[in-house]
Order: sequence, then C-alpha cells, then structure tokens
Amino acid sequence: MTKHLITLMVFLPVLGAILQALIPKAASRWGFSLSSWVTLGASLASSICGFILVLGMRPQADLQAIESIPWVGSFAISYEMGVDGLNALLVLLIVIIFPLLIASEWNQRLGAKGMHGLLLMLQASLAGAVCAQDLFLLFFLWSLSSIPFYFLIGIWGGPERESAAFRTLVSTAVGGALLFTAMILVYYSVDPNTFSLRELAQGQLGTKTFNFFGRQISSSNVAFVLIGVGLALRAPIWPFHGWFIQAAKQAPASVFVALSAVTVPVALYIFIRVTYSLFPSTVLTSSTTIVTVGLINLIVGGICAITQKSLKSLMAYICVGQIGLALVGVGSLNAAGVVGAVFQSLLLGLGLASFGMFTGVMISRVGKAEFLDEESRPSFGGLALRAPWLAAVAAVATASLLGLPGIGGFVGNALILIGSYSVHPAALLLAGLATLLATYYLFMMYRHVFLGRMGEGVSSFSDISVWERSYLFPIVLALLIFGIYPKPWLELVRPTVLTLLSTIK
Amino acid sequence: MRELILFSPEIFMALTLGGIILSEVGYYGERSRLITATALLGLGGAFVQILLIYGLGPATAMSKVISVDGLSLFFKLLAVVLGGLSIICANASSEIGQDRRAETYALIIAGCLALSVVAGAADILLAFLALQCLNLICFGLVAFARRSSSSVEASIKHMISSAVAAGLLLFGFVILFAHTKTLNIYEMHTVLISSPLPPHAALVSLALIFLSLCFQMGAFPMHLWMPDVLQGAPTPIAGFVAVAVRLAGLAVAIRFFVVLFAQAKLSPGQWMVMGSVDWPQMMAIVSGLTMSVGALLAFRQHSAKRLLASLFVSETGFFLMGLLVLDQMGMAALLYNVGVQVFAWTGAFYVVGFLYDQLKSDHLTDLSGIMSRAAPECIFLLLCLVCIAGLPPFPGFLGQFALVGAAIRHDWYALAIVAILSRALIAIATARIGFSLVGNVTQQLAEEAMGTLPAPVAVSPGRRVFLFALLMPMVLIGVFAEVLLDWAGKSLHFILW
Repeated sequence: MTKHLITLMVFLPVLGAILQALIPKAASRWGFSLSSWVTLGASLASSICGFILVLGMRPQADLQAIESIPWVGSFAISYEMGVDGLNALLVLLIVIIFPLLIASEWNQRLGAKGMHGLLLMLQASLAGAVCAQDLFLLFFLWSLSSIPFYFLIGIWGGPERESAAFRTLVSTAVGGALLFTAMILVYYSVDPNTFSLRELAQGQLGTKTFNFFGRQISSSNVAFVLIGVGLALRAPIWPFHGWFIQAAKQAPASVFVALSAVTVPVALYIFIRVTYSLFPSTVLTSSTTIVTVGLINLIVGGICAITQKSLKSLMAYICVGQIGLALVGVGSLNAAGVVGAVFQSLLLGLGLASFGMFTGVMISRVGKAEFLDEESRPSFGGLALRAPWLAAVAAVATASLLGLPGIGGFVGNALILIGSYSVHPAALLLAGLATLLATYYLFMMYRHVFLGRMGEGVSSFSDISVWERSYLFPIVLALLIFGIYPKPWLELVRPTVLTLLSTIK
Repeated sequence: MRELILFSPEIFMALTLGGIILSEVGYYGERSRLITATALLGLGGAFVQILLIYGLGPATAMSKVISVDGLSLFFKLLAVVLGGLSIICANASSEIGQDRRAETYALIIAGCLALSVVAGAADILLAFLALQCLNLICFGLVAFARRSSSSVEASIKHMISSAVAAGLLLFGFVILFAHTKTLNIYEMHTVLISSPLPPHAALVSLALIFLSLCFQMGAFPMHLWMPDVLQGAPTPIAGFVAVAVRLAGLAVAIRFFVVLFAQAKLSPGQWMVMGSVDWPQMMAIVSGLTMSVGALLAFRQHSAKRLLASLFVSETGFFLMGLLVLDQMGMAALLYNVGVQVFAWTGAFYVVGFLYDQLKSDHLTDLSGIMSRAAPECIFLLLCLVCIAGLPPFPGFLGQFALVGAAIRHDWYALAIVAILSRALIAIATARIGFSLVGNVTQQLAEEAMGTLPAPVAVSPGRRVFLFALLMPMVLIGVFAEVLLDWAGKSLHFILW
C-alpha cells in the first residue's frame, strides 16, 4: 500500500471524476449531494495519501517512494514517479488546496457535477505532473492540466468568459507546443534516447549540438529557452501575462485559485527541476537573465497592483509579482535563494489560495470584487465590524503575501532576499522596494474593505458561515504553521537543493 | 488451394456482399434486420480469417499479383473494422432511409473489399483498378441522400476530382511500365535498379503518381474536395468515405514508395532509385503545407462536418511526415496513428451524425448548447477530438510524438516546427467545437428555470454501448501503446521485396 501512495494520489481523483459521469443526473436533491460528496471524498482520499507520503519522507537528497513501470518501451517512456525535497512541498500544496477548493464550490448551482469533475481532473494531473520523473510523463500530465481550465473559465466565468477562455487556451497551446519541441529535442540529443529525468540528469546533454539549416546550435541552449518560454506562457511571466489578467477577471474565484495558486508554483517547480538537472551549464550562464526577468516581474506586478480596483485583478498582479520574487531566488543559484524559492512557491500558493477564497466569499456576498468604484471611492468599508472572522482570515492572507514575520510568507521572502544579495546588491534593493510597494497596495486594499466608515449596501453583510470556516480556517492554519515552525520543511528541501546546486557549480 | 486460402477474407467478403444483395430481394419488413446481422457477421468472419492468415506468413498469390504480408493484413484488419463500425453507424442514422439500408451495407462491404485488394496489390494495374473501384463506390455512397442537392453535388465533385486523379495515376504508371515492361512492382524495382529511369521521366512519373495519391489521401494541393464532399455526404457515410479513401491512398503510397523508389532495405531516408530528383524535400513541403493549410482552414469553418474535414486534411500532413522519413520508426508511427484514428474519426462522425439527426443541422451556432441535452454523446465527441488533436490523455498524443520524433531524427527540424505549430492551431480550432457544444450555460439555466429548455435527447442503451465500445480501443491503445507500435513495426518487416 505505502509503495503506491503516489499512484493512489494521482488516480483516486480520476476515479472520482469518472464516477461523476456515472452518477445519475442531478435530478433529486439526494443525487445532487451524492455526487458532491463523492467528489469531496475522492479529493480528500487523494489528499490523505499525499499527506502520508510527505510526512513519511526522510530528509535526504535522493528520490523516495519511487514507482517505475515501463510504458512505451520503444520510445523509452516509463511511468516513473517519485518525490524528493524539490517536489514534496508542491505535493503538500496540491493536497491542501484542492479539497478546500471543492468545498468552496459546494453550492455551485450551475452544472456542479461538471465543475467538480474538472477540478478532480486538475488535481490528478497537477499532482501527477509534480511527481513525474519521466520527461514525457511530466509533459503529458502538464498539458493535460491545461484542458480543464478552458472549460472551467469558458463555462463558469464572467460576462467575457469566452474570450478569456480562448486567450487562456491559445497561450497554453503555444506554451505546450514549445515544451513539446524542447522535449523531443532533448530526447533525440542524448544517446541512448531516454526520457528518464534521472538518466538525463547526469550531464548527458552536455555540449550536444544539432544542425539547423547548416548551422550547429547547442541543444541545451535551445531547449532551455523553449522550456523557459513555454512555462512562462503558463506561469504569468512578463511579457506573457496578458491572458492571465483577463482570466483573473473572468474566471470564478475558485478556478482562478487553481490557475494561480497551484499552476504557477508547479510551473516554477518544473522549471527548476528540468533546467537545473538537464542544463546545468546553461543555467549557470543565464542566471543573471533569470534574476533580471524575476525583478522586472516583481516591479511590473507591484506597480500595476497599485492601480487595481478589483480584488481579482489585484490578486493576478500579486501573483505576477510574487512569481518574480521566486524567480530571483531560482536565479540566485545559492542554497538560501533556491531553498527560499521552493519554500516560497508553497507559501505563495497558500497565500494566494487564501486570498482567492476570501475573494470568492466577497463575491458570493455582494456579487462583485471591486473594492473601489469608478471614482476610486471605497465600495465596502468597515466590514471588520460586520464580519470579524472574515477580516481575520483576510488579514492572515494579506500578511503572508506581504511576508510579515510569524506568517508563512516571511520565511520564503527572507531567504530569497538573503540569497539575492550574493547575485547583486541591486537585486536586493529592487526586491526590497517591491516589498514596500506590496505593503502599500495590500494595506490600502485592506483598509478600503475592512476599516473606515461602513459603506452603503453592506449593512446586511454576514460573517462567514460554518461551512465557509471549514475551508478557510485550514488554509490559515497552514499559513501559520509554516510561518512559525518552518524548520522541518526547510530541512526536507535543503539536501536535494544542495545536490542540484553542486552539479551546477 | 493455398492461394485461395490466402485470398479467403476477400472471398468471404464477396460472399457476404452476394448474400446481402440476395437478402435484400428476399427479406422485407421486420426480417430486414437480418441484413444488418448478415453484414456484421460477414465482416466478423473476414476479421477472424485475416487473423488466421497471419500464421501463414508473407506470401504472394494469384501469380504474384496479390501480396499477403504484414502491411496488407494490417490494412485489411483496419478496413474490416472500419466497415463494421460504419455499418453500425449507418444503421443508427436517420439520414439513410430504412428501405435503403441494405444497399448502403452492400456498398460499404464492397468498399471494404476494394480497400482490402488495394492493400494487397503488388501489381500496378490491380492497384489502379482497385483504387478506382473504391472511388466509384464512394461516389455512390456520397450521393446516398438522394433528395438532398448538396449530396448529389458532393458526389459529382468527388467524381470529377477523382477522374482527374485517376488520369494522373494512369499516366504515371504508364511511364513506369513503358520503361520497365512489367506490371509487378517487385520486378519493376529490380529493373529500375539495373537501369534507372532518365531523370525527366522519373520526375514526371513520380510527380503524377504522387499528385494522384495526394488526392486519395486528401493532401495539399489535391485536398479541396475533402470539405465539400464530407459536408454533402450523409454523415455516417462521410466518416467511411474519408477514412477509407485515405487508407487506400496510404496503403498504395507506403507499398509503392517503399518498394519502387526506395532501397531494398529500409534504411533511413534513401530514395536513391529515382536519382536526381529531391523527393524528400518536395514531400516535406507538401506535408508541411497540408498540415498548416488544414489547420488554418479549420479556423474558418462554421459547419461541424467541414471543420472535421479540415482537421482530417491537416492530419494527412502528419501522416506524410511518417512516410517521408521512410524508416522503420516513422512508418510504424504512421501505422499506429492510422490505427488509432480509425476509431477516433468514426466516433467523431458518428456523433456529428447523431447531432445532425436531432437538429437537422451541423452548423456550429445550431449546435450551441446541445451538451445539456445529450451530454454523454457530446463528451464522447470531445474525447474523440482530443484524440485527433493529439492532446493527452489519448493515444493520439503518443502518435503525434512518434511522428514528430521521426522527423527530428532525420533532421527535418523546420518541418517539425511547422508540425508542432499546426498542432497548436488544431487544438485551438478543436476547442471551438467544444465551446459551441457547451453553449451559453447561464442562458440555459435561465431557460431551465422558466421551463423553456428543450427536453433531453432520449437515452438509448444501444448508443451508449456503442460509444463505450468505440472508446475502449482508444483508451487501451494508449495504455498498451507498446503492443500496437510493435505490431505496426512488424507489419513493415514483411513487405515483400
């Protein structure tokens, strides 16, 4: 049983999704709740497997809980799964967020079965993509995870959902195409051809070149660029973030949580995993570029976030900024920075998720996410008195995104900042500036929503219900736990990161 | 006797054909259902016989006119499966009148028979005749919705373009025959090695043959008939015609190119016999143009059938990529894809036909919101399209990888890039169908509240079973991809030299 925890974690949601199709149409009240409970059950069961898996890990550099079954022998494709320090926290992120997301969509009236099924497919494919140790399998599951988003945004989204869904699809399709090219290039560059990340990691790619219209081009450089751009199209890296902002405005809050809080950290993880192990020399030469891109993202996200009037687009720009910060850590190429980036990707996910769920609660209460109206006057105001619990949840989410000490985000932020100093002091300066910006826009948002004079039309605003607490509190709890006692998690990450870094330098 | 045994699937199909024609005369009323059973049993029998013949190993029959080898048996199996599925589809469709079912089955089985003969033909004359026979049957099938003018128009279009293609093919073959004085392709190969064709003759001959096969496969620049004909034909027939005509084209292309123009061993990229002409380059251009033109056409279509036809054209471009590299891996990938897509395309056309029966239209705007009324069918259609577009989790993804990989192995980087870009375009074009199936959910919800939502389509267990039966091979091919790839590879080993 314990040997197949990863497989269970990946396939239980798939089973749940198939059951959604088989459970009779939601005609009766009874049938409705049955399919919802099946969804939640499948998601929770998968999460329990994930928790057991991560909690049972030893802090060592090697892959653990490996499962390997040959799949297509003639192309050396295998079903190979495993966890190590790099992806353990991501597994944790996915298993924490998805059951809560499904709970937050519990009262979805519109085609609940379809939405739940798609969310389960997302959980399965993202969990699989995180654990996959075979390049083909990784790409397979990663591109599988893009399909549900199209429908989730296109069906359950806001008034301009179709164009948002279309733009999302275009960017993911192009990104997928680039990754696909990179994957094939890598596969045929090594001899014997292989997809196994472990075999590819042994510096096999080295100085291989290929002939393109009579010119010799380094495979690893091209593959690095393709993978970088391909992932940047899914994680909203400037200048490819346009679709993301539109998706944020149109997607339902829970879907956008999946799109930002889960997909973006997974994209970052894939970038670290593939580039660090496959193209160490290219990473070394392009570390400055990575840091620069990260800083640009950080500043662009911060400046744009100041002008936002809607919780949804604010969250999108926070995500753009935060992923930039994580990239600074990735490009710093020292233990503090990279460990910080890995840890930050977990906390960024949890922070964004709590923020997104808070947004969802707001939308369900007042039907809009704009906290400032056209003339920049607060539309809510003074909600803290009406809804103290919601105010507390939002406070923790905001504080974590800011990186206030004692709450999750602080550890990651601090480590990244320490790491970035060694690259260039200017990086530290800019990152610090961006944090100041974040303080400004997040506190302004908080002030407009929760403090000050009570606005019109919020007199009937009620505090979060028991059901809403059941999915908001666990995530707040997680933010606090990771913030107050990060040591075991950091120790889980550190050995793998050190091993990876030692191959680069 | 042995030759008769080698030829037994075809004989069995011919007997079934006779039986159907006789029973159409004899049966009436309720008993006409027996005709469907006869047709399916006949094809089932042929299927078993083909599997049994695998044991007899590669051989030739009928004074070396027919070759019974892995390649022909592979295509024969696909032909029989396609025929069986098409008969079930036609049986379920209301586009074909109850009283005309028997004729449809007879024509479909005749088509399978022609396709089987094409697959095994080792003689240029037989290949030509069998191809034309298949095309002739397709004209009839396409025009089957007699009262619809678009059906007749489609049939005439098909006929005219097919006549042009037949002429080209014949001219190409004549040049080869005039030089080699033999009709058998294996003998032709030996003659061509000892005394190659003059460069100009080679250019003209191969260009003519290739253009004609482009028509058959639906490749650029002869792809224009595809959307028109598939739109006009009754939908279940459209699936059969599209897949069967392309299967025939691919079978001839693989056998003729490999045997006639390549070296005696399947070593990569060797097209030496035709000397001075740079065939791979030309084929690469055709392949790239086909896939991109198809993908771009798919963007502009408003009719579901035409959209499917454009995707079909684009897919042909991918298949050409496997043919182009002319090595074991590329062609095994090609056969793998062909095998997968028989199920995916039949399923896609079946569901579009089913929706056409419900709505009397296949316009994307008319399809809007049909998902709420026929969810399982629409989901199945989406799964088929996902497979066709080469997205995970279906085997189309692996097939696409194998084909692009084969191109990259032989340094066709530019072609591979075009291929990947067209795949991205196709994924987006496919999503348009998905979107119109789902429609405007908010509006549907409002209609449901007001009680004006049209009632769901009646559930038919038979239809669900059929859909499930089509889905199973697609899933299983994905899980056991290795087996099919291996089998496809083996099929190529036994092309007789």
